[in-house]
Amino acid sequence: MNAAVTGAWVCLLAPLAGALAITLAGERISRRTAGWISTLTTFVAFAGALDAFIRLWARNHGDREVLSTAYTWLAAGDFEVGFQILVDPLSTVMMLVVSGVGGLIVWYSMGYMAGDDEERRYFAYMSLFVFSMLLLVEAGNFLLLLVGWGLVGLASYLLIGFWHERAEAVAAAKKAFVVNAFGDATFALALVLLVWETGTLEYPSVFERVDGLSSTIVTLVALGLLGGAVAKSAQIPLHTWLPDAMEGPTPVSALIHAATMVTAGVYLLVRTSPVFEAAVEIQHLAAILGAVTLVAAGLIALVQWDIKRVIAYSTMSQIGYMFLAAGIGAYGYAIFHLMTHAFFKALLFMSAGVVIHHLHGEQDIRRMGGLRAVLPRTHVAFGVGTLALVGIPPLAGFWSKDGIIASALATGGVLGWSLYLAALVGALLTGMYALRLYFAVWQGPPRETEDEAHTHASGQSEGPLSMLVPVGVLTCLSTIGGLLVVPGLWKPFEHWVEESAEALVHPTVAQDYATSVVAVALGLVGVWLARRAFEHGRQLVTDPTAWRILERKLYVDELYDAVFYRPAAALAVTLRQDVEGPVVERSLDEIGAGTLHAGGELSRAQSGLLRTYAITVAFAVSVLVVVFVAVR
Amino acid sequence: MSGPGVGWYLILSAVVFGTGALGVMLRRSPLIVLLSLELMLNAANLALIAFARQQGDLDGQVFALAVMAVAAAEVAIGLGLIVALARRDLPLDVDQASALKG
Amino acid sequence: MGDVLVWLIWFLAAGGLLASGAAVVSVSNPFYSALALIANLASLAVLYLLLSAEFLAAAQVLVYAGSVMVMFLFVVAYLGGRADAPWAGGPPLLRTAALVAAIALLVEVVVVLGLAWGDNLSDPAEISAAFGSPGAIGELFLTDHLLAFEITSIVLLVAAVGGVILGTTPRRRGENEHRREA
Repeated sequence: MNAAVTGAWVCLLAPLAGALAITLAGERISRRTAGWISTLTTFVAFAGALDAFIRLWARNHGDREVLSTAYTWLAAGDFEVGFQILVDPLSTVMMLVVSGVGGLIVWYSMGYMAGDDEERRYFAYMSLFVFSMLLLVEAGNFLLLLVGWGLVGLASYLLIGFWHERAEAVAAAKKAFVVNAFGDATFALALVLLVWETGTLEYPSVFERVDGLSSTIVTLVALGLLGGAVAKSAQIPLHTWLPDAMEGPTPVSALIHAATMVTAGVYLLVRTSPVFEAAVEIQHLAAILGAVTLVAAGLIALVQWDIKRVIAYSTMSQIGYMFLAAGIGAYGYAIFHLMTHAFFKALLFMSAGVVIHHLHGEQDIRRMGGLRAVLPRTHVAFGVGTLALVGIPPLAGFWSKDGIIASALATGGVLGWSLYLAALVGALLTGMYALRLYFAVWQGPPRETEDEAHTHASGQSEGPLSMLVPVGVLTCLSTIGGLLVVPGLWKPFEHWVEESAEALVHPTVAQDYATSVVAVALGLVGVWLARRAFEHGRQLVTDPTAWRILERKLYVDELYDAVFYRPAAALAVTLRQDVEGPVVERSLDEIGAGTLHAGGELSRAQSGLLRTYAITVAFAVSVLVVVFVAVR
Repeated sequence: MSGPGVGWYLILSAVVFGTGALGVMLRRSPLIVLLSLELMLNAANLALIAFARQQGDLDGQVFALAVMAVAAAEVAIGLGLIVALARRDLPLDVDQASALKG
Repeated sequence: MGDVLVWLIWFLAAGGLLASGAAVVSVSNPFYSALALIANLASLAVLYLLLSAEFLAAAQVLVYAGSVMVMFLFVVAYLGGRADAPWAGGPPLLRTAALVAAIALLVEVVVVLGLAWGDNLSDPAEISAAFGSPGAIGELFLTDHLLAFEITSIVLLVAAVGGVILGTTPRRRGENEHRREA
């Protein structure tokens, strides 16, 4: 077997083995052991990914695509689907991000979840998730991609509802699952259409034949794929589940709802870029949806009070940037932003986790403040994460986000300019909501309650080592992770990814730096606005009407409630009353009563007299003889 | 084949079968019903053997032998039932053994 | 000359068969009924011989008339006077129906035979001397019909066990008086 592939298989199977081991061992192992199994298998996966990456690096340019088939698990006529993985530049990047950031977050969970009742279940789910996500990014064909796609949805559902005693958590899990199921359905329909039209689900053959298809078919396929991507990545209009998903444990939010799963949509857009390039309107639709999401989510983030929800809306907004990039064909920047975002957003969530942990589950930023003195190291980490998010050089977010905005500028035309403006507005909003959160939590006078002060007095520090080390590592990554792409100097990351998906736009160096100046200036304006508001003790949104609209999240939940839920519920009630009762139940009753009646009548024939039976048989036989003779 | 043709044997078999059937249908004593059943089975055997002769194929005779074995089994069970009825002081009358009436 | 002799034997056997058959179903005493059946079986054995079924004729006499009917007679003797079954008709409708059914069957058989008489039953197959001999039948039993043979033996075994169980007095509470009686 090819050496690069071995690492990839190890990477894929190690977390699965971890999940199985924890599940099978059950209560025979301690909670700590379960945590270590989960952490170490994820790091083994990272080592495998690193091995695959290095070996792929050593190969020649243009020869960096290896397809490995374990076995053919579905064959129908000419149609065959194998259990196969694809190791190429794009998938190795994703493998590294998923297993690396995943390993850090699982490690962090050991401290965060310590003492929870069902830690083993938690770690089994986490390992299952890491496996599913790796399956998604390593899948060598569309069907296996769909399998991973569904499995991450399942793991996400299980982990959002991990605290199943809480009604909100269960409701949020259900909501996430339903919305994702919608995306899965459109995705699956797209695949059905592909099989129907091209007879294959292998990436290369599909991409080869996609040009020969009619434009309607290609558009429908791309639309279906986009539906899946939009649902998974919480983009408007299928975004409503992500804020609610914050009911899950914070490390889950960091891993699934910030760093990896929600970015699967971006991965899908890049991986299947030939399909989208054949259906340009749909690709542009992806960019437009991304732009709308990044502005809307940024606005909503301005008024949220829950620390995790603010970060969640920020996640939606940042994924909007990635969709924008993928939609205009800046694949390298989309994946680059995916990676840096994984770093700093996981960092933000984990720092927020330290805060929540310290405050015993308090998530309302109105009851926080002045924590800088109490949690100094976390303060630094959160600060780095915030600045990376805003895009202050030389932190990670600067390089990736500005690349995307510059690509929008390079696209030009009405679309390019609109996207460019939206992205710049987003940069301003990012500065405002990120710093609003920062000031509210860390600056100002302490607002701790008596209970928390008591804890403080007892000398509890910023958490165990298992929480601090991952935060530290991610702080470093958020600081230097963006240096892989420096416009005008070197762009190894972009070139690496573009071996898998050739970019459609290449901003010039001048465009890059001009954009950077504007974007950073806007980000700083946002920072300044947030600071002024904080100092004057007022909110960023002062108009009460606007505040209310934003606080209700633009009424999208209410809209869906009125458009989908209420008619469906009314229909169900009507069917129950007018169809189920009178038609279904009555007919069953009638059938039962009729059978009973007929049985009663027939039982009279059972006289119990042997001789009558004999005579009946004799007559029957004589009739049968006549029948036989006649038929002959 | 000397003597009467196979058809005559078959007519004989039919008459005996009818006699046996009449016995089953008319008599109320379980013993005689059982004997009449034997009559019917033997009539069938006669027909089988006659056909075997007609076809020159021994399968019919083999089948007749199997019928004999089944008849023996049937007699064993039937007589067992009659003895059981008698031991429980139940009337030996098939018309009165009608507990399974619907 | 031999043909006449065969006809004569046939007539005697057929007459015995019909007469004893009628006796089986008509007499009121089961003891005579059983004796009539033995005569019936004997007449049948003769007919079997005429049809070249030597082995079956022997089996008929030995197994059937010899042992099965002896069992019958033992049961009749055990039951004594209770076994007597005088003609006690039942509803007349039942008797009429029974007669009609039996006659209908008979007529149908004769009609069917008549339909087939001309072409199919006129010339029986040529047979060898071994036809119907124990050797020939035994060979068939152990080759073509081995499974049927084995299943028949199981049926007999089951029947034997069933007969024993039916004949045993159940030992349950409240039935002790039966035990004492027996």
